[in-house]
Amino acid sequence: MKLRSIFAGIAAAFLLLAPVIGQAAEWSPKGSIVLQVGFGAGGSTDIMGRLVAARVEKETGWNMVVENKPGGGGVAMFSGLMRQKPDGLKLGLGVNVPILLNLALRGDKLPFKIDSFDYIGTILRGENAMVAKADAPFNNFKEFIAYAKKQGGVAVGFDAKPQQMIMAAVTKQSKAKFKMVTHKSGAEQIQSLLGGHVAVGCLAGAHIKYIESGDLKMIAVFNKSRHSYAPDTKTIIESGYPYYLDPYYYIAAPKGLPADVQATLAKAFDSAIHSDEVKKVLYNTLKAQPNNLGPEGTKKMLDDGVKDIKVLIDAGK
Amino acid sequence: MFDLNVALAGLSDAFTLYNLLLVWFGVVLGQFVGAMPGTGPVMAMAIAIPFTFTLNPLPAIAFLIGVNKGGLVGGAIPAVLINTPGTPDAAATTLDGYPLTKKGKPEKATKMALYSSITGDAFSDVVLFTVSPLLAVVALKMGPLEIFALMVFAFSIISGLVGDSMAKGIASAALGLFCATVGLDPEASTPRFIFGIFELYDGLPLVSIALGMLAVAEILRRLSSMRGKITAAVELPRTQKKEDRRISWAEYWSCRYTMLRGSAIGTILGAIPGLDSSAAAFMSYATAKQTSKDPDSFGKGNIHGIAATEAANSSVSGANLIPLLTLGLPGNIAAALIISAFMIHGIQPGPLLFHEQGQLIYGLFGALMMANILNLITGQFGLRLWAKVIKAPESFIFSTALLLCIVGVYMATGGLTGVVIMFIFAIISYLMTAFGYSVIVFVIGFFLGERFELSLTQSLSVLDGNYALILDHPVALGLFALAIASAYWFGFRPMKKSKGKQQTAEETTS
Repeated sequence: MKLRSIFAGIAAAFLLLAPVIGQAAEWSPKGSIVLQVGFGAGGSTDIMGRLVAARVEKETGWNMVVENKPGGGGVAMFSGLMRQKPDGLKLGLGVNVPILLNLALRGDKLPFKIDSFDYIGTILRGENAMVAKADAPFNNFKEFIAYAKKQGGVAVGFDAKPQQMIMAAVTKQSKAKFKMVTHKSGAEQIQSLLGGHVAVGCLAGAHIKYIESGDLKMIAVFNKSRHSYAPDTKTIIESGYPYYLDPYYYIAAPKGLPADVQATLAKAFDSAIHSDEVKKVLYNTLKAQPNNLGPEGTKKMLDDGVKDIKVLIDAGK
Repeated sequence: MFDLNVALAGLSDAFTLYNLLLVWFGVVLGQFVGAMPGTGPVMAMAIAIPFTFTLNPLPAIAFLIGVNKGGLVGGAIPAVLINTPGTPDAAATTLDGYPLTKKGKPEKATKMALYSSITGDAFSDVVLFTVSPLLAVVALKMGPLEIFALMVFAFSIISGLVGDSMAKGIASAALGLFCATVGLDPEASTPRFIFGIFELYDGLPLVSIALGMLAVAEILRRLSSMRGKITAAVELPRTQKKEDRRISWAEYWSCRYTMLRGSAIGTILGAIPGLDSSAAAFMSYATAKQTSKDPDSFGKGNIHGIAATEAANSSVSGANLIPLLTLGLPGNIAAALIISAFMIHGIQPGPLLFHEQGQLIYGLFGALMMANILNLITGQFGLRLWAKVIKAPESFIFSTALLLCIVGVYMATGGLTGVVIMFIFAIISYLMTAFGYSVIVFVIGFFLGERFELSLTQSLSVLDGNYALILDHPVALGLFALAIASAYWFGFRPMKKSKGKQQTAEETTS
């Protein structure tokens, strides 16, 4: 018994020392780092979080634990995260759009604000686009608007509230009429598109392989800038509608993270996000490149995002 | 189109010892997590995906398929043995599985579940590899209106399960539908009935409702009938007759039409993205009951009831791969996880997959078959073990089950909110049973409610006030007509008949 506890003690000491030997000067976590994902197991955010966490663990030797805290598009997770100790051991992964939307629509009811967190960085930007079946009688956003006017209303698939808001703002500006048909996911929208049940869909990544196979075609880009896989497709801003949708997957920690902890975590995640393994999977699954804005860039993106989404809400009213 | 060389090359890729061991490991893991209430194959697959990255595509996907298929068999085990579905898919299996266990035939019940599950699975795998491109095209034509009509049709078939009081049945279904409206509304994303709890944004968690209404409520009932002495969870006769412990070929063969019908229902619903296996299981059960010569024996331990539900919910898993492999569309979460495993390895499921990756596809077919056979073998051994467990004192079994429910729901929903909801619904279920309202009808209403509302909203958007447009959807019209016919056939007619016979009120659910 005694001998066993001595061995256990020595083993534990080595385990604790192991990461320290590698990087003596920097902060290292005393215990497991928990990365909470604001969505259920199996979604794109969850898979992204698990992939990046596994890579961080591989590169640093830290013990990473991924937990799912679904609810309200991340609101439930962030509400819990803000009450945690800022010791660098509790992090959260969410998507900005539902958070910004909730802050803009019912900010007084949320327990947190943008300032309630310190930020580690972003993993990537979701590629939002309007797509149609390859044989649709229009090829760009202007032609689509003209077609909608001529038809007196076309069915538009969507799966996130902000897409609906952008189309509402477009309706107001152009007087074209849309029948907005809600969906549960991008995959279901593609089902509706291929089956001819909607004329266009608003998609965030699921469409890319169908663009490549030639079943669907790009009509417009909802992001601020064009997409790498379809450089000729204009953004709706370029087509004269000053709105955009830039979904970022970002990592946050409770407010009050010491500067050295934040810097170490930011570095570790940046390295993992840009590793070949993560890059390859992100490209294979979402055709997206890693896009890390860094701690300050993430904060600025969110601050700007709140203002811009308010403009969008008012434009659709 | 069929190339024997490619097929043989694919199959020989699959049948290696390495793949066999991986699939077997997946099946064992799947059966285990499936049998633990609250945890399920989806959770196990999500956690396993990052680890499959280091494997080659075929072993990686074969492993995940093993987990998924193992989970479907595992979920039925606690449903049959202690009236506690291990996964929501197995909710319908409790209807006849548990009564048969109570009659002292737990091994017969679990074996019937296993065999019919394997049968349904094999059926849908064969359909997948023979006529899937055709089925996929048909499934694509199912637009919002057609899906809505299909949901109405499903409800009308299930009306056969309401029991003797139509009023109470409708009340239970309405309550289930009402609970499904909690959360963001599909049209304008306005939160409804969330009372400031952000965890409820996405609706009441399915796993909390399923475990609360079915599993925890059963534990409450057990508690209330405790007499302070130690009794086994299920009293088994000291010497079981040999034929009570196994399924004879004659018994299996007598269920062939039930299983075939269940498999067909599961395969069709599975091919349409978005409809899940519990809907298939309930529809199959209701049709089996209504077409049976002896519908009154259902709910009292009829092996046909077990065969109908398990064949249907297992055939969904193979059929879910139909839209996935042909169109790249995942039919449910498990399929979405398999698609992400494909994509992580740079393979794009879609129209060209059969053409470009023929060898992989046949390898996958080999893996599906291996998973199926391993499921049968592992199940044979596993079931004996599980069936022994219930001979332990009920105080031990049910406290363990309760603990597992709490831990499972905590993990699945990411917090205590889900656990609290589970207990609230356990009490609701307890009261509903006490006052003769059907819990199963409530659960069906809840399970189908979300998709029902979504397709209704979509249909209204598409029609945009112009209801004459329905005439452009002959499939939907046909389904509506079928719904009216089956509501009469399954719902009202048997009720009149039973009133005529002056039968005593007996709930369809225990």
